[in-house]
Amino acid sequence: VNLVFALAAAILFGIGAYLVLHRDLVRLVLGVVVISQAAVLTLLAASLERGAPAIYPLPRVTLSDPLSQAMALTAIVIGMAVTALLLVLVLRVATAFQTGQLEEVAEEEVSLEAQLEEAHAEAREDEEAAAR
Amino acid sequence: MTALSLALLIPWVAGVVLLVMDARRAAVRWLAVAALGGTMVALVALAVTVFTEGPVVMTTGNWPVGVGITMRADALGVTFALLSVGTLTAAVVHEALGTVGEREFAGLVVLLAVGLVGTFLSGDIFNFYVFFELALATSYVLAVYGRTPRVLGAGLVFTAVNLLGTFVFLLSVASVYRVTGTLDMARVAERMAAADPNAAILIAVGFFVAFSVKLGLFPFHFWLPTVYTSARPVVAAILSGSLANIGAYGLLRFGAGLLPRELELAAGALIVIGAASIVYGGVLAVSRETGSEMLAYSAVGQVGYVLVAIGVGGPAGFAAAVVYTIVNAANKTMLFLAAGRRGVVVGGIIALGALSIAGVPPAAGYVGKLEVFEAAIREPAIVAVVLLGSLLSLVYAFQIYQFEHWRPDAGAAPRRARWREYAVPLALGGVIVGLGVWPEPLAAVAAAAAAVLPGATP
Repeated sequence: VNLVFALAAAILFGIGAYLVLHRDLVRLVLGVVVISQAAVLTLLAASLERGAPAIYPLPRVTLSDPLSQAMALTAIVIGMAVTALLLVLVLRVATAFQTGQLEEVAEEEVSLEAQLEEAHAEAREDEEAAAR
Repeated sequence: MTALSLALLIPWVAGVVLLVMDARRAAVRWLAVAALGGTMVALVALAVTVFTEGPVVMTTGNWPVGVGITMRADALGVTFALLSVGTLTAAVVHEALGTVGEREFAGLVVLLAVGLVGTFLSGDIFNFYVFFELALATSYVLAVYGRTPRVLGAGLVFTAVNLLGTFVFLLSVASVYRVTGTLDMARVAERMAAADPNAAILIAVGFFVAFSVKLGLFPFHFWLPTVYTSARPVVAAILSGSLANIGAYGLLRFGAGLLPRELELAAGALIVIGAASIVYGGVLAVSRETGSEMLAYSAVGQVGYVLVAIGVGGPAGFAAAVVYTIVNAANKTMLFLAAGRRGVVVGGIIALGALSIAGVPPAAGYVGKLEVFEAAIREPAIVAVVLLGSLLSLVYAFQIYQFEHWRPDAGAAPRRARWREYAVPLALGGVIVGLGVWPEPLAAVAAAAAAVLPGATP
């Protein structure tokens, strides 16, 4: 069973990494989500014993480890919150740059910086002229 | 015990309340200062107990010991908590003295303080993760403070990279639980010695990657320069002065505290990575043309010293890492807050920061450099790299001064900074000179902090 868990987590992580490397911003978010699921699965796989639900412990029954389930729940909640944050951020970027592609965001940034450079150069020329 | 609870409760409650208030009003920003001040008082009270009577341990929710989550304040944690809340307070006072503000700023910074204090005082690795994530979540929002398009792009990269880092951390936490069957740091440290070495090395690598991303060490630094240069100065000061401390603390706590065997095994690799960081950061900082870019690359270089000190190890090495982190946080906060201003006083502050980064007395930077030298004195190669790094930092530090203060003002008439704009950097400058002139307390605190790590007792 452990091998199955390990393989599943590894495949999830691989899919996530592949998505994160995409240029599309929404896929980046999805990649982060999938990687977070890989982490949650690993938390569950790390449980020390498997058995009956721990909610109603009967004598002489093996219980599943409640601690790793509690950790997985916490991780899911935190993952959801940061995913929401990340999505909002992507939305802000998409409205600011009018695009959902990382490449175009980078291009836009380069052109913004070029404008700044020009402004600086002009200012410098002005001040040199004034000095003369 | 009360002080420990208060250090978390005060900023927690205040942060939530402040979040719904409008921080564009100066009164609200001063309220945030008061909340952070209250946290500082609680932390100082806690520190006095910790340094005189030993660690303070508290189990949450009245659970029996061994079942409940433990909060554990020892010398190392308290030192880092004080440092981080101190720099946060400086940044908020600076912002409160200014005129512009943003609605959520005050609440977010106070919540960041909760995350940091909780991270440093947690005695349970999963609880550490939760507070770590809280601190990061607030910093993601702070990173886009200002909301220009450039900040948004940088903030997205910052968020995505650091999220991936925390998931790597979570994977290591799961593995620790699997291997040792506990999450309590003290017991993890005991049981780790009996663990399978292969598993322990994998766990150690996971922790190292997670904290290196946070620190911005050389191969993991790629997100750092864009974020530090495009963020507002006050945010850059917060990120480099308090949030980055988590990285140094994590390496000390998890490396030297929980996995001392693996740390020793990897000592050579750590020193090489640290040296690469020092040289890379220094060379790139020299090649930059604006003050904020230089500071960003200088941050990459400066954390290299911390890693070298941890790699050297032993009581001297860990103490050096603590001293260097403290001094570096003070330097970076002061310089980022003073960056972009003009005037005689600001020029003096920048010059002092430059001296401190380069390690010239009487600024406190030389205490940090001296500690690293002392720790590494038996390894001539390390001393050579550290010296090279100091030379590079001397060059770029004075380039900052040259670019910001010798070049004639572009365009509009030069506007001198008013006292409100340099009061906080000036106070920090006073602290830096004070620590440089009288470094004994700093060294004593660092030695006490390093002494709690099992790796420090040979």
